[in-house]
Amino acid sequence: MHHDKDKLEEIKKKRKEWEEKVLKPAAKRFRMEKPTEFHTPLEIEGFDFLRDVGFPGQYPFTTAAFPVNLVPALRKGAKPGGLKRASQYSGYGTPEDTRDYYKAQAALGWSGGPNFALDLPTQCGYDSDNPTVEGEVGKVGVAIDTLRDFEVIFEAFTGDQDLDKIATNMTMNAAANILIAMYIALAEKRGIPMAKLKGTPQNDILKEHVSRGTYIFPPRPSMRMFRDSVVFFTKHLPGINITSIGGYHIREGGATREQEMAFSLAIGIAYLQEGVNAGVDIDDFAPKFTFNGSGGSLEIYKEVAFHRAYRRMWAKIVKERFGAKKEESMRIRVPMFAHIGCSSTTKQRVLNNLSRTMIGGIAGLLSGGPPAVFPPYDEPLGLGWSLEARQLADDGARILMYETGMCDVLDPFAGSYFMESLTNEIEKAGWEGLQKIEDMGGAVTAIETGYMQREIARSAAERQAKIERGEMLLVGVNCFTEEYELDVTVNRLVEHPYSEKKRYDAEEKQKANLAEVKRTRNNREVKRLLLELEKAAKKEDENLMPLFIQLAREYASLQEQCDVLRGVFGEWQQDTFI
Amino acid sequence: MVMENERKIKVLIAKPGLDGHDRGAKVLAFGLRDQGMEVIYTGRRQSAVQIVKAAIQEDVDVVGLSCLSGAHLTFFPKVVELLKEQKADDVLVVGGGIIPEEHIPILKEKGVAEIFVSGAMVKDIGDFIRKNVRKAD
Repeated sequence: MHHDKDKLEEIKKKRKEWEEKVLKPAAKRFRMEKPTEFHTPLEIEGFDFLRDVGFPGQYPFTTAAFPVNLVPALRKGAKPGGLKRASQYSGYGTPEDTRDYYKAQAALGWSGGPNFALDLPTQCGYDSDNPTVEGEVGKVGVAIDTLRDFEVIFEAFTGDQDLDKIATNMTMNAAANILIAMYIALAEKRGIPMAKLKGTPQNDILKEHVSRGTYIFPPRPSMRMFRDSVVFFTKHLPGINITSIGGYHIREGGATREQEMAFSLAIGIAYLQEGVNAGVDIDDFAPKFTFNGSGGSLEIYKEVAFHRAYRRMWAKIVKERFGAKKEESMRIRVPMFAHIGCSSTTKQRVLNNLSRTMIGGIAGLLSGGPPAVFPPYDEPLGLGWSLEARQLADDGARILMYETGMCDVLDPFAGSYFMESLTNEIEKAGWEGLQKIEDMGGAVTAIETGYMQREIARSAAERQAKIERGEMLLVGVNCFTEEYELDVTVNRLVEHPYSEKKRYDAEEKQKANLAEVKRTRNNREVKRLLLELEKAAKKEDENLMPLFIQLAREYASLQEQCDVLRGVFGEWQQDTFI
Repeated sequence: MVMENERKIKVLIAKPGLDGHDRGAKVLAFGLRDQGMEVIYTGRRQSAVQIVKAAIQEDVDVVGLSCLSGAHLTFFPKVVELLKEQKADDVLVVGGGIIPEEHIPILKEKGVAEIFVSGAMVKDIGDFIRKNVRKAD
């Protein structure tokens, strides 16, 4: 790989000759505006394998986060993905509906903890009986108001699936600490100490401000909540991850690859800094950061390079900037690597998405992870994935794992002139974008001023304009749509386990559930604790987690607690940045 | 057809409910602006009442509702209804988002002029608005 100067000069000369005598005439003959690329050692001059790539599972993690690809196909006795854990993002309706769903899945042989989707009122800190959230209770996930609801859902998890044996994931951000406190209170009631709990709250609030939108408080006080997570989780909850950082939502919101990289890294830095500022040792908490995923696209070379660059950048940031010593502090733990992203799917000729996601699956393997045949092809139809589509997505991954032999090699592109130079290029753009945010004062400022939001909106509009001008082609959408093309449709016949009726009845039922809780709990104690919370919230240094746990025990509702905090922290409303 | 009578078409793009997916709404706001319309974007978390209030205050010709959380059957007809109550039913209401095929006729029957789904072109949405917007007196 290390070519000496003379050799490089010779390659340069030969390349020039080839371009003039061979490439140009060919491009002219076949009328190509831009000839296909070909890469040589010239593009990675100074390449240093140990410095730039290294070995899988070791700093700088360019090739892979772990020494081996953890796909089940390679692991003795591992289930071939037939029986999914309950941990597929799931949940709807009332806690009873979700409990019954998990029980039904368990009867089918599923095991492991839940990964619950919460309805929007819960994610935004509203109770089910709030008139302003009418129509949204139990719709996009399960409704949770109080500890009672945790008690009900987790009736599906007992015995060898009890809370000290399973890991629970929750897509909760703005008030993640309040739900974690409810989980702790539930464990207490079962005699399980919080130190034995395992799980991951999403708890990545800044990307909610940037893109996903389930914020409650302004960025600054949100960071104070995050600080409480770092401090309390590190000390008392060794099995609970602090955050699951996502660039995914930022890209899906419209960001380019480079913007996603810069913004999500800036957000990660802000979180790390918050912990360090609170006096926690970087090596004590950085290993408890996880990542839930990056965005994706069909440009798979670039996506693979993106993951290689991203891993290397995070490792450098944690090591060089924060002075971490442990390698696990620098390693990105993420369940999914390169993939196409939901926004690459099309509603038109929807089965084409299966072809698209197979390409994403290949990219997943090439980037050092599992084959992410994601999402199921009917994602853009918006009725929840059908079981048939999920079957085909699983099968797609299995075909890649069991029929292609592609899992046998990690980072097959390592050392490729093309891939290494592309990785460098994307990393360079990432650092530049990150520097811009640093110059503004970091992620929080870049969100408060609307910089990130505006940039993303602009990129989304530019992408759309390219599609409309035909500069970016989407098969079946803006090209190959002539009358003689067939409109291939699908039927989805297998009944979905979520009941539509239950979903629509959930609101009234959950309102009644909450009313019953409010009637039977010790309201005086709840009131007293809420006043305590207000006092504590006003003291910047106070960690609110212990109070959240006390409030959870007394069945204080999510909104009651959030309202107190809204009063102290304010609410974030400025999201019109365009 | 006197030129000075022609004012820019005024559009309110709104996000009803708690749904956070605002990419489409913002893309549309930019796109329609590029086509010469005057566009106001409400931001997220608007109630039907707030949306109608803004529409009337700003005297818009068009209200564009974007919802990807499945709550469209609640919100879209409510906006139409409230506009009617305010005697502003000449305001063109269009909607977009992840709307299942079978919900489209229901929404149209309740007064939503058109539903645009994933893959819709901003140009076509603009054309639809120009063709169907109330004519300036």
